Amino acid sequence: MNDTIVEARNLIKHYKDLNALDNVNLSLSANRIYGLLGRNGAGKTTLMSVLTAQAFATSGEALVFGANAYENDAVLSRICFIRESQKYPDDFQPRHAFRSAALFYKNWDQGLADRLAADFQLPVKRRIKKLSRGQLSAVGVIIGLASRAELTFFDEPYLGLDAVARQLFYDRLVEDYAEHPRTIILSSHLIDEVANLLEHVVVIDRGRIIMDADAEEIRGSAVTVSGSAEKVDAFLAGRKILHRETLGSLASVTVDESLGSRERAEAQELGLELSPVSLQQLVVRKTMAGAGGAGHTAGTGDFSDDTLEARR
Amino acid sequence: MSRTVAVARMQLINKWTYIGWPLTILLASFLMSLAIFALIPVQEGKYGGGSQAPMWYFLVLGIQSMTLVFPFSQGLSISRRAFYLGTLSLFSLIAVGMTGLYLLGGVIEKATNGWGVYGYFFSIPWVTDGPWYSTAAFFFVVMMFMFIIGFWFATIFKRWGTSGTLVSTLGSAVVLIGLAALTTLLEWWGYVGAWFAQQTPLSISGWAALLCVVLAAGSYSTLRRATP
Repeated sequence: MNDTIVEARNLIKHYKDLNALDNVNLSLSANRIYGLLGRNGAGKTTLMSVLTAQAFATSGEALVFGANAYENDAVLSRICFIRESQKYPDDFQPRHAFRSAALFYKNWDQGLADRLAADFQLPVKRRIKKLSRGQLSAVGVIIGLASRAELTFFDEPYLGLDAVARQLFYDRLVEDYAEHPRTIILSSHLIDEVANLLEHVVVIDRGRIIMDADAEEIRGSAVTVSGSAEKVDAFLAGRKILHRETLGSLASVTVDESLGSRERAEAQELGLELSPVSLQQLVVRKTMAGAGGAGHTAGTGDFSDDTLEARR
Repeated sequence: MSRTVAVARMQLINKWTYIGWPLTILLASFLMSLAIFALIPVQEGKYGGGSQAPMWYFLVLGIQSMTLVFPFSQGLSISRRAFYLGTLSLFSLIAVGMTGLYLLGGVIEKATNGWGVYGYFFSIPWVTDGPWYSTAAFFFVVMMFMFIIGFWFATIFKRWGTSGTLVSTLGSAVVLIGLAALTTLLEWWGYVGAWFAQQTPLSISGWAALLCVVLAAGSYSTLRRATP
């Protein structure tokens, strides 16, 4: 059940003036839903491209199903990665793209593809060139789901999809995953929307993995404490502070630590309010903290030194 | 192997691309040529160049197979090798079929005295003068050459972008001009002319086939490291 199917070792992808991947080490297990989160340009698509041998790493090793995917039909036939900016042949209609996919994926489910096309109201006989951004995303989503590849990547699959279509995608993904377990990697920057789907979260920022943990573990791994600034600071002295906001004499501080029951009781006695941190907030805070010194709202300049101290 | 065949089948999913358009272009060019032949009131052999029309489409087809179908094939996790072999084998089959049509057209053309209007569409002086296999080889190689050169330029473009394409185009031009200059300097034009005069359609096909093989090998090694 917990077989490792993707393993990245010291992956570096160097472009002219930036490190798209900066020493990435990662190991993914079979039959789970992963979230690959990060800002635009953080390296999400590059990482997926390198893993699937669509692009080449400058150095390091990427093993999928125990081998390098490059020119390896045995490995490649088990992978599906439709990129966000996927190109299709000029004269193709969605139904042509689906028939192509059916040629290459042995578990392809045409019935599912047809149902999804109906769900997304996709005109399957219109040239792909003439589809809207959302319809184009739908084509990719349908190929990704109906191919039932053991390792499926979704690269920001929701672009241009309306809220209803996005929900449809999430629902269908979970339904189909329950019936046909496989490894799914969902790259996204709309974190709140996908947070509930994810079993494991990988956050990448400027080519580096800054978070790699089970979703369960992350929920409750950080907490926001708010109340009078003095009391909050005293209570959190020496803790790993991610973010701090003040409004007059009130402060709201996010710490990258979980609080035990005794500490929670203590906080209650002091009249401090504890609130959970959403995955999205946590990712934003961690990313900004990583950027160094960011993460402060206006008027909190006085505290920046303290915050930096605390972070050290 | 099965994935190579699957690539060929994928290229045929839209029948127009590899079959419909070449036939349409051939037919349209043929009918237009006939109309023009019929309008010219001359009672002797009239030759047009209309049969080359599909060849230019094959150049475009070579480019598009690479620029548009390759990225899609990558999305379906098709290896570069399977994509290359599947696409090139399929086009070879298409070229064989088209060559067959050209030969057949040539036979009918001769039998009907130029379709009754002394118009020769499939017969080209010198090219189709030899035996049938020489004509066949010539048409086949020219079709392959057009496709492969399109494919080759597109691979260069895919791998090295606009600047790479410019450099290779200009580079080829510079080399050709250099060769011409050298020939002039050494006063070798006489030999060159004599060499060309000696060639038959069959030997020209042979040289072009050799060039095709070189370009095909070149595009494969470039494609091996191309990204979508």
